[in-house]
Amino acid sequence: MGSKINKSYYGYFFVAPFFIGFAVFGLAPILYTLYLSFMKWDGFTDPVYVGIANYTRLLHDSFFYQTIGNTMIIWVMSNVPQLIISLLLALILNEKFIRGKHFFRAVYFFPHMVTAVTLGVIFSLMFDWQTGSVNKLLMDIGLIHDPINWFNSPWWSRTIASGVIVWQYFGMNMIILIAGLQSIPNEVYEAAEIDGATKPQVARYITLPMIRQVILFVFITSVIGGLQLFDAPLMLGDGPGNSVRTMVMYLYEMAFKNYDYSYGAAVAYGIFVIVMFFTALTARITRTKE
Amino acid sequence: MSKYITRGILYLFMIAVAVTCLLPFYSMIITSTHTNSDIARKLLLIPGDQFMENYSRLKESVNIWRGFANTVFIAVVATAINVYFAALAGYGFSKFNFRLRNGLFMFVLGTMMIPGQLGIIGFFKLMESLNMLNTYWPLILPAIHNAFGIFLMRQYADSSVPTEILESGRIDGYGEFQIFNRLVLPIMTPALATLAIFSFIGKWNDFLTPMIILFDNNLQTLPVMIASLKSQFTSDFGAQYVGIVISVVPILVFFAFMSKRIINGVAAGAVKG
Amino acid sequence: MKTKKWLGLSMTTVLAAGMLAACGSNNNGGNASPSASGSAPSSPASSAGASPSASGTDASKPLEGNLVLWTYFDGVKGLAEQFMAKNPGVKVDVQIFPGDQYQTKLMSALQTGKEAPDILDLERGYIGKFIDSKYLADLSSMGAEDLVKDYIPYVQALGRSSDDKLRAIADTSSPGGFWYLKDTAKKYLGTDDPDQISDMVSSWDKIIELGKKVAQDSGGKEHLMENAGDLFDIEAYNTQPWVQDGKLNIDPKWKDIYETQLKIRQNNVDAKLAFMSAGWGNALNDGSVVLTAMPAWAGFMIDNKDDKAKGKYGVAKTPDGYYSGGTYHAIYDKSKNKDLAYEFIKFAASEEWQKYNLDTTGNMPGTSKVFEANMTTYKNAFTGDQNVLQPFYDMVKSIPATKPDKYGEDILSTWRKVASDGVTNNKSYDDVVASFKKEVKNTFPELKVD
Repeated sequence: MGSKINKSYYGYFFVAPFFIGFAVFGLAPILYTLYLSFMKWDGFTDPVYVGIANYTRLLHDSFFYQTIGNTMIIWVMSNVPQLIISLLLALILNEKFIRGKHFFRAVYFFPHMVTAVTLGVIFSLMFDWQTGSVNKLLMDIGLIHDPINWFNSPWWSRTIASGVIVWQYFGMNMIILIAGLQSIPNEVYEAAEIDGATKPQVARYITLPMIRQVILFVFITSVIGGLQLFDAPLMLGDGPGNSVRTMVMYLYEMAFKNYDYSYGAAVAYGIFVIVMFFTALTARITRTKE
Repeated sequence: MSKYITRGILYLFMIAVAVTCLLPFYSMIITSTHTNSDIARKLLLIPGDQFMENYSRLKESVNIWRGFANTVFIAVVATAINVYFAALAGYGFSKFNFRLRNGLFMFVLGTMMIPGQLGIIGFFKLMESLNMLNTYWPLILPAIHNAFGIFLMRQYADSSVPTEILESGRIDGYGEFQIFNRLVLPIMTPALATLAIFSFIGKWNDFLTPMIILFDNNLQTLPVMIASLKSQFTSDFGAQYVGIVISVVPILVFFAFMSKRIINGVAAGAVKG
Repeated sequence: MKTKKWLGLSMTTVLAAGMLAACGSNNNGGNASPSASGSAPSSPASSAGASPSASGTDASKPLEGNLVLWTYFDGVKGLAEQFMAKNPGVKVDVQIFPGDQYQTKLMSALQTGKEAPDILDLERGYIGKFIDSKYLADLSSMGAEDLVKDYIPYVQALGRSSDDKLRAIADTSSPGGFWYLKDTAKKYLGTDDPDQISDMVSSWDKIIELGKKVAQDSGGKEHLMENAGDLFDIEAYNTQPWVQDGKLNIDPKWKDIYETQLKIRQNNVDAKLAFMSAGWGNALNDGSVVLTAMPAWAGFMIDNKDDKAKGKYGVAKTPDGYYSGGTYHAIYDKSKNKDLAYEFIKFAASEEWQKYNLDTTGNMPGTSKVFEANMTTYKNAFTGDQNVLQPFYDMVKSIPATKPDKYGEDILSTWRKVASDGVTNNKSYDDVVASFKKEVKNTFPELKVD
């Protein structure tokens, strides 16, 4: 162990690249964004210091509040079914008698390999009210008479946006949950079997409590990811009455479409506060449960 | 008997989900082989013969293969950098007992909490002032700092890299970085592979950064090209579908061969994280 | 914002046409236009340094050098090719950035100045944002007033900054009209004569009455118009500017327009098909809608496989003249090739090019001269023997000349969004105005909104 202590300052060299990289590509942009949020700058003229004007504007911006609401709604509509489906499938696929396990896992995981943007475009094409296959299908089997203009309805639009996210992530989360399930020692099941517990009982009283950590992990990542929804909803558009516009889409529109970089910077910090708040909240809730 | 019914129901459910997963892709591929007027009027279930027609219209203004190659290039280089530097730092945190070790490690974990879009505007301006707009540097270099990767690598180094190796390396007269590159990296290969899969998928999906950083069409990445298909080919659905198909099918083929590895890698990474 | 997308679409067709034409033609200098190039007597001081002086176009020195042009529109290649054919010493590198990101790219490039082009194209939809920036060269001081003296008033005004200097010039006007299939028109309107039909639809009230009749005669299957939303396009530039003295200004005319739209929707006059959507295109081709409001540049939407649409269409006047979109060429102020770039702009503004462009692509010229010279001789493939320049010319002359501003198009698209929503859900005008004001206030907090 002696030599380890002598050389221990070498550790700084090993970890230094991270800190240099973070300072340049992580921290500096964040600070620059903070600086910009106190300016008025449209990209055409030089920035002017305006104090907290952007933040005052943000506090009174009902459209921003709407995007928070939209993000929450889409988050709930996508993550609740998504977690249920992935948990169910994980439990099923963990059963010994199921055949073709690998095939199913691969098929379920596949949408995750395709980029979110592509998924968004696929859904927007499928649900196009004039040319999309969904309307055609529904009309052919006689469920509807006239095509439904999906993206004209706030709730259909949100449902579709949520659908994209469910589709993209359930396979991924399922794999993580299966990994958790497989870490449960076999003896536990054997003991339960001897006690005469039924399958649902085993799942309810043994399996789920034992993988609670993994479920929490999946849950927390989905909170952080869900609050930053962007790519897929962007492909579906803002929706009627901006009902599908998420917080990050708003940031993007303000900064890179309206060229209001300074206000966009304030929006970025607004989002930051909200994400921090919900992350802390989730952490608090999960801790009290333990 | 009831056992078989339950199993039947389970299989049915699994197959239904599997069909839902694949049907949209099937529909994409079929639709891409028909004319615009058929796409607009009919439900298409069997392949048509218009794929090349649609493809040639797409090709005229969008070089989708180029986008494909660009994205592969960026993802591979960034993944290599990501994996190497994560292993470097993870190993550093694991095997060297320097004074600020715990504090710095907490800091690294803390950076994971920062939402990715917070600095995006500043990032854009900064890259502009560094003359890096319209280059791949802003897409590749940030891979140096990956907190999740460091975390993963430290876990692995703690459990699977024996300290004796370092000592034997030092006795053999190797420098510290030589020890890392020659002796430690090979041991860490399984963890490197896991992280590489995560990193590659992440980079492959990257959309916002290339969209704002790159102007040149020849440099553009696939997701950005796909995103602009809709505005470019407003009512030319055939061309849009072909673009999607081209962006999906190679992944499908790749995944068909690699699925076991990828899924096991993801599972391994998730359990560690 | 929509226009941008429509324009992008025209690539394939227009490009194909342009390429074919460019290959066959070889009219170097031969019939050079009389007005544009020759009559620029004094080129300004700015041309001092560079070699190819502006005055030497035709006779003296041949032009030499390289230009980089950025555009979002494939059709501009045709223009560059003609220019190069005429000036073999010049190479124009046309870089096309289709899609939504062009503006952002342009913005970054202009700000950094690093890889900025010599010539940049601006679309009608956002020219207002760039027109007063320091990035665009003052064309007036380079003698460009002379190039646009015969221009259709609104076409040249759209290239002017708020200090009345020319900053960009278009080579086309983009007028729209009611396109109809002659057979369908005969069936429902009793005639296929463009003048008579223009007369039948000369006001919105007439259109609503006529539309009711069409809906009735066809048992609700067919419609007179594609979409109540067409009124946004048709009336947009016949109303007062949205912003006056830093204050939001809603022309009272919008109230009538909105109520007309409601009536159109309620009386089944329109087929509810959005401009350039798939259903819209079908209706244009199969005649399930009688009148399609469509700009002249969108002719590629007509399916003319094996000449099947030849001579089948007519164009009638809309109640008010309108245009949709427009590609404006500007020079980057810090370009090192300003003089050569100016020669390019000069060519774009010339009758020679605009006539050629009309013949090959059907894009309407920006200068009145070309309209007037070809009024009775120009025939379009779709419209057969109709003198189709006539209705367009009548309409473009009537469109008021207004300078672009940084708000107009964005506010218009906000209005379009909010009011379309209102028409769909049958909201009152006051409700629509209230939510419209809220949106405008939010996007542009610096504007006064009461």
